[in-house]
Amino acid sequence: MALSKERLGRYNPEKPQENRLTDLGPRHFWEFFPPVIQENYGKWLYHDILEPGILAHVSETGAKVYTVRCGAARFMTVQHVREICEIADKYCKGYVRFTTRNNIEFLVDSIEGLEALKKDLESRKFAGGSFKFPIGGTGAGISNIVHTQGYIHCHTPATDASSMVKAVSDELFEYFKGMTLPAKLRVSMACCLNMCGAVHCSDIALLGYHRKPPIVDHEYISKLCEIPLAIAACPVGAISPDKTESGKKTVKIKSERCMFCGNCYTMCQALPLSDQEGDGVTILAGGKISNRISDPKFSKVVVPWLPNSFPRFPEVVENVKKIVEAYAKGANKYERLGDWAERIGWERFFEQCGLEFTEHLIDDYRLAYDTWRTSTQFKFTDAAWEVSKVAGGIEE
Amino acid sequence: MASVNIAGREVELDEDGFMVNPDDWTEDCAKYFASGEGINELNDDHWKVIHYLRDYYKQFQIAPMIRKLCKETGCSLKYIYELFPSGPAKGSCKLAGLPKPTGCV
Ligand code: HEM
Ligand code: HEM
Ligand code: SF4
Ligand code: SF4
Repeated sequence: MALSKERLGRYNPEKPQENRLTDLGPRHFWEFFPPVIQENYGKWLYHDILEPGILAHVSETGAKVYTVRCGAARFMTVQHVREICEIADKYCKGYVRFTTRNNIEFLVDSIEGLEALKKDLESRKFAGGSFKFPIGGTGAGISNIVHTQGYIHCHTPATDASSMVKAVSDELFEYFKGMTLPAKLRVSMACCLNMCGAVHCSDIALLGYHRKPPIVDHEYISKLCEIPLAIAACPVGAISPDKTESGKKTVKIKSERCMFCGNCYTMCQALPLSDQEGDGVTILAGGKISNRISDPKFSKVVVPWLPNSFPRFPEVVENVKKIVEAYAKGANKYERLGDWAERIGWERFFEQCGLEFTEHLIDDYRLAYDTWRTSTQFKFTDAAWEVSKVAGGIEE
Repeated sequence: MASVNIAGREVELDEDGFMVNPDDWTEDCAKYFASGEGINELNDDHWKVIHYLRDYYKQFQIAPMIRKLCKETGCSLKYIYELFPSGPAKGSCKLAGLPKPTGCV
């Protein structure tokens, strides 16, 4: 589409309000529905997953629509989008859609169309060898990783999003292409604990984490920052007002109270805290958002910190695999990871995943008490025996 | 950071054109920023909003919340946008020489 010069003319910086269009909202989704979706809107009877990545929906009119779901890197060039459009033009009358996990879905209305489309998609690769449009992401497998900006665009990250997601996805690729797990397993990623996206509600979540308090730029803070905002930003009250020797307004941070959330830096650019050695990755597990069988759950911290080993994050990948494999082995059909962990008990979860339990995992923030065990109901694990022996408790 | 000459004084600005030091502000700064924010001439209502923002900032060291600004100046949000087309944060706070708004903006 060329730059519009006709109807309203070019933008004129001398008269910025002239011919200005505003509050138009998004285009209505109906305009972009394939004809078969428009005709059968609200009339669908049932659906099937024909094979990983391929869905079939059947309408009460008898109409059928086949959907091919493909993985995507989310962060993509216009060139890649044009290639998606080219495929949509060739097989799907020019229609295509994206899912809420940033997968691409191509819709066709015949089996012949479906076969040709599948063959074409699987044949497309980047120069480095990666699939451009791997088919999968349906059913009880691992679909795309919901993730954030990382070092590509944000100023508050403690790790990178795109590179970690690529490293982890490469290792989980067989689960994207297959439906071999007890239930779907959602992996998500956020590069700081603003948690843009879904880390607080995913089966496995990867989260960028700092381990050092902010550095105060006393020279600029009173000019650049609204100091009361920075003070109010701290969840643990570690920041208080202060004066420099020359009498300038500034803040002081009680470092033994700070837990490195970075919220004060979000409000005040004179409080940077990212750090090459300190920053790393926390892993959470057991969250879900659906109401199927059990209520939605928050994910819980299970690995306090792993280093940012760019570019392939081997430690993160290894721990994610441990959790996925223990879950695949231990859980019952339809059990999400959190359902499984709660059924067997978290002490058994740590044992079966081979994860170490440390003091970092014990909640100590305001409502912490409810997360401790107020019961004698628990199972002995090897880790518990170790502690018992060190404390001179029960003899084996 | 760049500096510009406003009515004979050097004033330091960041890359979004906000003043680095709010204490350097004079009415000339507001006039200087006005054209960049699509305002041809500053009328009484513009000045009312600008002075309210400066007074509030002087007293509390933060910018007022939008609700507070509207209530105290008697200007609806719609009218604030008519006065300052880029809005209360990017527009009026810049003219008033307040620090650049932060957070997930
Ligand atoms: C009737 C309303 C909704 C429908 C039909 C719906 C449908 C879906 C579907 C089909 C997916 C999976 C997509 C994929 O696998 O590619 C999904 C994922 C997701 N949705 Fe929704 N959604 C709804 C409302 C919401 C709301 C209100 C929120 C947030 C407050 C939300 C947050 C999410 C998140 C975070 C995911 C990714 C996590 C996951 O799949 O486990 N959804 N939704
Ligand atoms: C420091 C604070 C934040 C900043 C600077 C920020 C910035 C951004 C930016 C620039 C984008 C666009 C990314 C792109 O175009 O690829 C984005 C997307 C998004 N943000 Fe944030 N955000 C912040 C906080 C949050 C929070 C707290 C949430 C949710 C609880 C959130 C949820 C989202 C979501 C769901 C998207 C869409 C992602 C997508 O569709 O690809 N953000 N954010
Ligand atoms: S999670 Fe944090 S660092 Fe990552 S994009 Fe969101 S605000 Fe930025
Ligand atoms: S990093 Fe978080 S905990 Fe530490 S001082 Fe800033 S706001 Fe408080």
